[in-house]
Amino acid sequence: MQTDERSRRVAVVSDDLVNADAGGFDVLDVLEQAGWGAIVLPPAWYPAELSGDLLAQFAEHIEEFLRHGYDVVCVGSCEGLSAPLAALGVAMPESRTPSGAEELLEFLDQRAMPAHG
Amino acid sequence: MARVAFVAHCMLNQNAKVVGGALCRGIYPPLLRQLREEGWEIAQMPCPELTFTGLNRFWAVREQLDTLAYRRHCRRIVAAVADAVCAHLERGDEVVLIGLEGSPSMGVRVTSSDPARAGRPEWPDGAPELTPGSGILIEELLRELRARGAPEPRATGIRHTLPDFDPGAERAELAAFLRN
Repeated sequence: MQTDERSRRVAVVSDDLVNADAGGFDVLDVLEQAGWGAIVLPPAWYPAELSGDLLAQFAEHIEEFLRHGYDVVCVGSCEGLSAPLAALGVAMPESRTPSGAEELLEFLDQRAMPAHG
Repeated sequence: MARVAFVAHCMLNQNAKVVGGALCRGIYPPLLRQLREEGWEIAQMPCPELTFTGLNRFWAVREQLDTLAYRRHCRRIVAAVADAVCAHLERGDEVVLIGLEGSPSMGVRVTSSDPARAGRPEWPDGAPELTPGSGILIEELLRELRARGAPEPRATGIRHTLPDFDPGAERAELAAFLRN
Protein backbone atom coordinates (compact mmCIF):
# COMPACT_ATOMS: atom_id res chain seq x y z
CA MET A 1 0.00 0.00 0.00
CA GLN A 2 1.40 3.37 -0.98
CA THR A 3 1.28 6.27 1.44
CA ASP A 4 0.15 9.54 0.03
CA GLU A 5 0.09 12.78 1.98
CA ARG A 6 -2.05 14.91 -0.33
CA SER A 7 -4.74 17.03 1.31
CA ARG A 8 -7.13 17.14 -1.67
CA ARG A 9 -7.33 20.89 -1.01
CA VAL A 10 -6.14 23.42 -3.57
CA ALA A 11 -6.07 27.21 -3.34
CA VAL A 12 -5.80 29.21 -6.54
CA VAL A 13 -3.86 32.36 -5.69
CA SER A 14 -3.35 35.62 -7.51
CA ASP A 15 0.24 36.52 -8.28
CA ASP A 16 0.12 39.83 -6.41
CA LEU A 17 -0.50 38.00 -3.14
CA VAL A 18 2.41 35.65 -3.79
CA ASN A 19 5.08 37.88 -5.28
CA ALA A 20 4.14 41.47 -4.55
CA ASP A 21 3.22 41.10 -0.89
CA ALA A 22 -0.08 42.81 -1.72
CA GLY A 23 -1.79 41.23 1.27
CA GLY A 24 0.95 42.16 3.71
CA PHE A 25 1.50 38.51 4.61
CA ASP A 26 2.93 35.41 2.95
CA VAL A 27 -0.05 33.60 1.46
CA LEU A 28 2.00 30.55 0.46
CA ASP A 29 3.35 30.22 3.99
CA VAL A 30 -0.19 30.21 5.36
CA LEU A 31 -1.33 27.66 2.77
CA GLU A 32 1.65 25.44 3.47
CA GLN A 33 1.01 25.44 7.20
CA ALA A 34 -2.70 24.78 6.64
CA GLY A 35 -1.93 21.91 4.29
CA TRP A 36 -3.29 23.36 1.08
CA GLY A 37 -1.69 23.06 -2.33
CA ALA A 38 -1.42 26.18 -4.48
CA ILE A 39 -1.94 27.18 -8.06
CA VAL A 40 -0.26 30.55 -8.62
CA LEU A 41 -1.90 32.54 -11.41
CA PRO A 42 0.13 34.60 -13.89
CA PRO A 43 0.90 38.22 -12.98
CA ALA A 44 -1.36 41.01 -14.20
CA TRP A 45 1.38 42.57 -16.33
CA TYR A 46 1.63 39.58 -18.70
CA PRO A 47 0.18 40.27 -22.18
CA ALA A 48 -3.45 39.16 -22.40
CA GLU A 49 -2.75 36.36 -24.86
CA LEU A 50 -0.05 34.88 -22.65
CA SER A 51 -2.19 35.12 -19.53
CA GLY A 52 -5.07 33.56 -21.43
CA ASP A 53 -2.98 30.55 -22.45
CA LEU A 54 -1.77 29.94 -18.90
CA LEU A 55 -5.20 30.51 -17.37
CA ALA A 56 -6.73 28.02 -19.81
CA GLN A 57 -4.22 25.43 -18.69
CA PHE A 58 -4.77 26.08 -15.00
CA ALA A 59 -8.54 25.91 -15.61
CA GLU A 60 -7.99 22.37 -16.89
CA HIS A 61 -6.15 21.56 -13.65
CA ILE A 62 -9.06 22.89 -11.61
CA GLU A 63 -11.59 20.91 -13.64
CA GLU A 64 -9.64 17.72 -12.97
CA PHE A 65 -9.41 18.41 -9.23
CA LEU A 66 -13.12 19.20 -8.95
CA ARG A 67 -14.06 16.14 -10.99
CA HIS A 68 -12.34 14.03 -8.36
CA GLY A 69 -13.96 15.74 -5.38
CA TYR A 70 -11.02 17.89 -4.31
CA ASP A 71 -11.83 21.22 -2.67
CA VAL A 72 -10.74 24.24 -4.68
CA VAL A 73 -10.94 27.88 -3.57
CA CYS A 74 -9.71 31.16 -5.00
CA VAL A 75 -7.64 33.59 -2.95
CA GLY A 76 -7.26 37.13 -4.23
CA SER A 77 -8.15 38.43 -7.65
CA CYS A 78 -8.81 35.39 -9.83
CA GLU A 79 -11.44 36.80 -12.20
CA GLY A 80 -9.33 35.89 -15.20
CA LEU A 81 -10.23 32.27 -14.59
CA SER A 82 -13.96 32.72 -15.02
CA ALA A 83 -13.96 32.58 -18.84
CA PRO A 84 -11.68 29.55 -19.24
CA LEU A 85 -13.56 27.74 -16.47
CA ALA A 86 -16.90 28.59 -18.07
CA ALA A 87 -15.59 27.20 -21.35
CA LEU A 88 -15.11 23.90 -19.52
CA GLY A 89 -18.54 24.11 -17.89
CA VAL A 90 -17.03 24.76 -14.46
CA ALA A 91 -18.28 27.41 -12.03
CA MET A 92 -15.83 29.74 -10.33
CA PRO A 93 -14.72 28.33 -6.97
CA GLU A 94 -15.62 30.25 -3.83
CA SER A 95 -13.35 33.25 -3.59
CA ARG A 96 -11.93 35.39 -0.81
CA THR A 97 -9.49 38.27 -0.65
CA PRO A 98 -8.29 38.12 2.94
CA SER A 99 -6.95 41.15 4.75
CA GLY A 100 -4.50 39.05 6.69
CA ALA A 101 -3.26 35.60 7.57
CA GLU A 102 -5.88 35.06 10.26
CA GLU A 103 -8.75 35.81 7.92
CA LEU A 104 -7.32 33.44 5.32
CA LEU A 105 -6.91 30.69 7.89
CA GLU A 106 -10.46 31.23 9.11
CA PHE A 107 -11.74 30.97 5.54
CA LEU A 108 -9.79 27.77 4.91
CA ASP A 109 -10.66 26.17 8.24
CA GLN A 110 -14.41 26.51 7.74
CA ARG A 111 -14.25 24.47 4.54
CA ALA A 112 -15.50 20.91 4.78
CA MET A 113 -12.75 18.31 4.59
CA PRO A 114 -12.97 16.58 1.20
CA ALA A 115 -13.68 12.86 1.30
CA HIS A 116 -10.67 10.74 0.48
CA GLY A 117 -11.56 8.68 -2.55
CA MET B 1 15.35 43.40 -11.82
CA ALA B 2 13.52 40.50 -10.23
CA ARG B 3 14.74 36.97 -9.83
CA VAL B 4 12.03 34.54 -10.89
CA ALA B 5 12.00 30.79 -10.32
CA PHE B 6 9.77 28.78 -12.64
CA VAL B 7 8.97 25.74 -10.54
CA ALA B 8 7.45 22.38 -11.37
CA HIS B 9 3.75 22.45 -10.56
CA CYS B 10 3.89 19.76 -7.87
CA MET B 11 6.44 21.71 -5.82
CA LEU B 12 3.58 24.00 -4.84
CA ASN B 13 0.79 21.47 -5.20
CA GLN B 14 1.39 17.87 -4.26
CA ASN B 15 -2.27 17.20 -5.04
CA ALA B 16 -1.22 17.01 -8.68
CA LYS B 17 1.10 14.06 -8.06
CA VAL B 18 0.44 10.53 -9.21
CA VAL B 19 -1.39 8.61 -6.46
CA GLY B 20 1.16 7.38 -3.96
CA GLY B 21 3.60 10.12 -4.87
CA ALA B 22 2.51 13.01 -2.66
CA LEU B 23 5.17 13.47 0.01
CA CYS B 24 3.42 16.34 1.79
CA ARG B 25 -0.07 17.79 1.95
CA GLY B 26 0.31 20.64 -0.52
CA ILE B 27 3.34 22.92 -0.81
CA TYR B 28 6.81 21.40 -0.46
CA PRO B 29 8.12 23.47 2.46
CA PRO B 30 11.90 23.34 2.00
CA LEU B 31 11.75 24.80 -1.48
CA LEU B 32 9.28 27.53 -0.52
CA ARG B 33 11.43 28.57 2.44
CA GLN B 34 14.61 28.73 0.41
CA LEU B 35 13.02 30.69 -2.39
CA ARG B 36 11.68 33.17 0.16
CA GLU B 37 14.96 33.39 2.08
CA GLU B 38 16.88 34.09 -1.11
CA GLY B 39 14.36 36.63 -2.39
CA TRP B 40 13.08 34.79 -5.48
CA GLU B 41 9.69 35.40 -7.00
CA ILE B 42 7.73 32.28 -7.85
CA ALA B 43 6.11 31.30 -11.15
CA GLN B 44 4.45 27.91 -11.37
CA MET B 45 4.50 25.74 -14.46
CA PRO B 46 1.44 23.68 -15.39
CA CYS B 47 1.59 19.92 -14.75
CA PRO B 48 1.61 18.11 -18.09
CA GLU B 49 0.73 14.72 -16.66
CA LEU B 50 -2.27 15.95 -14.67
CA THR B 51 -3.94 17.34 -17.77
CA PHE B 52 -2.98 14.45 -20.04
CA THR B 53 -3.67 11.28 -18.09
CA GLY B 54 -5.40 12.80 -15.06
CA LEU B 55 -5.32 12.26 -11.32
CA ASN B 56 -5.91 8.51 -11.59
CA ARG B 57 -2.94 7.94 -13.85
CA PHE B 58 -0.52 5.09 -13.28
CA TRP B 59 3.09 5.65 -12.39
CA ALA B 60 4.94 5.92 -15.68
CA VAL B 61 8.44 5.98 -17.08
CA ARG B 62 9.58 8.20 -19.91
CA GLU B 63 9.04 5.68 -22.68
CA GLN B 64 5.37 5.27 -21.79
CA LEU B 65 4.75 9.00 -22.13
CA ASP B 66 7.02 9.65 -25.07
CA THR B 67 4.34 9.62 -27.75
CA LEU B 68 3.49 12.13 -30.45
CA ALA B 69 0.31 13.06 -28.60
CA TYR B 70 2.10 13.70 -25.30
CA ARG B 71 4.83 15.70 -27.05
CA ARG B 72 2.12 17.83 -28.68
CA HIS B 73 0.51 18.32 -25.28
CA CYS B 74 3.83 19.34 -23.73
CA ARG B 75 4.56 21.73 -26.59
CA ARG B 76 1.23 23.48 -25.98
CA ILE B 77 2.24 24.01 -22.35
CA VAL B 78 5.80 24.91 -23.27
CA ALA B 79 4.69 27.60 -25.73
CA ALA B 80 3.03 29.50 -22.89
CA VAL B 81 5.82 28.87 -20.39
CA ALA B 82 8.44 29.98 -22.93
CA ASP B 83 6.41 33.12 -23.60
CA ALA B 84 6.40 33.80 -19.85
CA VAL B 85 10.12 33.13 -19.49
CA CYS B 86 10.85 35.47 -22.42
CA ALA B 87 8.55 38.15 -21.00
CA HIS B 88 10.63 38.14 -17.80
CA LEU B 89 13.93 38.09 -19.68
CA GLU B 90 12.83 41.08 -21.75
CA ARG B 91 12.25 42.99 -18.48
CA GLY B 92 15.76 42.13 -17.40
CA ASP B 93 14.67 39.58 -14.82
CA GLU B 94 16.84 36.60 -13.97
CA VAL B 95 15.04 33.30 -14.59
CA VAL B 96 15.80 29.80 -13.34
CA LEU B 97 13.96 26.52 -13.78
CA ILE B 98 13.34 24.15 -10.87
CA GLY B 99 12.10 20.75 -11.94
CA LEU B 100 11.69 17.41 -10.21
CA GLU B 101 14.46 14.85 -10.53
CA GLY B 102 13.31 11.36 -11.45
CA SER B 103 10.19 12.61 -13.21
CA PRO B 104 9.51 11.42 -16.75
CA SER B 105 8.25 14.92 -17.52
CA MET B 106 9.94 17.38 -15.17
CA GLY B 107 13.35 15.82 -14.52
CA VAL B 108 16.30 18.11 -15.17
CA ARG B 109 19.26 15.77 -14.73
CA VAL B 110 17.52 12.55 -13.70
CA THR B 111 14.49 11.03 -15.36
CA SER B 112 12.97 7.56 -15.29
CA SER B 113 13.39 4.98 -18.00
CA ASP B 114 12.42 1.39 -18.61
CA PRO B 115 12.04 0.49 -22.29
CA ALA B 116 10.39 -2.82 -21.40
CA ARG B 117 7.72 -1.49 -19.08
CA ALA B 118 4.29 -2.16 -20.53
CA GLY B 119 1.09 -4.00 -19.91
CA ARG B 120 -0.45 -4.66 -16.53
CA PRO B 121 1.08 -2.13 -14.10
CA GLU B 122 2.91 -4.35 -11.68
CA TRP B 123 6.55 -3.89 -10.80
CA PRO B 124 8.67 -4.04 -7.66
CA ASP B 125 9.45 -0.92 -5.66
CA GLY B 126 12.95 0.24 -6.38
CA ALA B 127 12.92 -1.01 -9.95
CA PRO B 128 16.04 0.44 -11.59
CA GLU B 129 14.26 3.04 -13.66
CA LEU B 130 16.22 6.16 -12.74
CA THR B 131 18.60 7.28 -15.42
CA PRO B 132 20.53 10.42 -16.35
CA GLY B 133 18.57 12.74 -18.60
CA SER B 134 15.76 15.23 -18.60
CA GLY B 135 12.02 14.79 -18.66
CA ILE B 136 9.92 15.41 -21.72
CA LEU B 137 8.47 18.80 -20.79
CA ILE B 138 11.83 20.16 -19.65
CA GLU B 139 13.38 18.87 -22.87
CA GLU B 140 10.68 20.54 -24.96
CA LEU B 141 10.94 23.78 -22.99
CA LEU B 142 14.70 24.07 -23.45
CA ARG B 143 14.30 23.21 -27.14
CA GLU B 144 11.66 25.94 -27.54
CA LEU B 145 13.81 28.55 -25.78
CA ARG B 146 16.78 27.65 -27.98
CA ALA B 147 14.58 27.95 -31.08
CA ARG B 148 13.61 31.44 -29.97
CA GLY B 149 17.22 32.41 -29.41
CA ALA B 150 16.57 32.99 -25.71
CA PRO B 151 19.39 32.35 -23.26
CA GLU B 152 19.00 28.98 -21.62
CA PRO B 153 18.02 29.44 -17.98
CA ARG B 154 20.01 27.72 -15.29
CA ALA B 155 18.06 24.69 -14.13
CA THR B 156 18.05 22.26 -11.26
CA GLY B 157 15.69 19.68 -9.86
CA ILE B 158 14.35 18.79 -6.45
CA ARG B 159 15.48 15.31 -5.49
CA HIS B 160 13.09 14.41 -2.70
CA THR B 161 11.64 11.39 -4.51
CA LEU B 162 15.03 9.79 -5.20
CA PRO B 163 16.25 6.92 -3.02
CA ASP B 164 19.53 8.67 -2.20
CA PHE B 165 17.80 11.90 -1.13
CA ASP B 166 19.75 13.81 1.50
CA PRO B 167 17.78 16.83 2.80
CA GLY B 168 20.89 18.61 4.09
CA ALA B 169 22.79 18.15 0.86
CA GLU B 170 19.82 19.34 -1.17
CA ARG B 171 19.43 22.43 0.98
CA ALA B 172 23.10 23.30 0.50
CA GLU B 173 22.98 22.64 -3.24
CA LEU B 174 19.80 24.64 -3.68
CA ALA B 175 21.19 27.54 -1.66
CA ALA B 176 24.29 27.60 -3.84
CA PHE B 177 22.15 27.43 -6.97
CA LEU B 178 19.88 30.26 -5.88
CA ARG B 179 22.79 32.47 -4.77
CA ASN B 180 24.85 31.90 -7.91
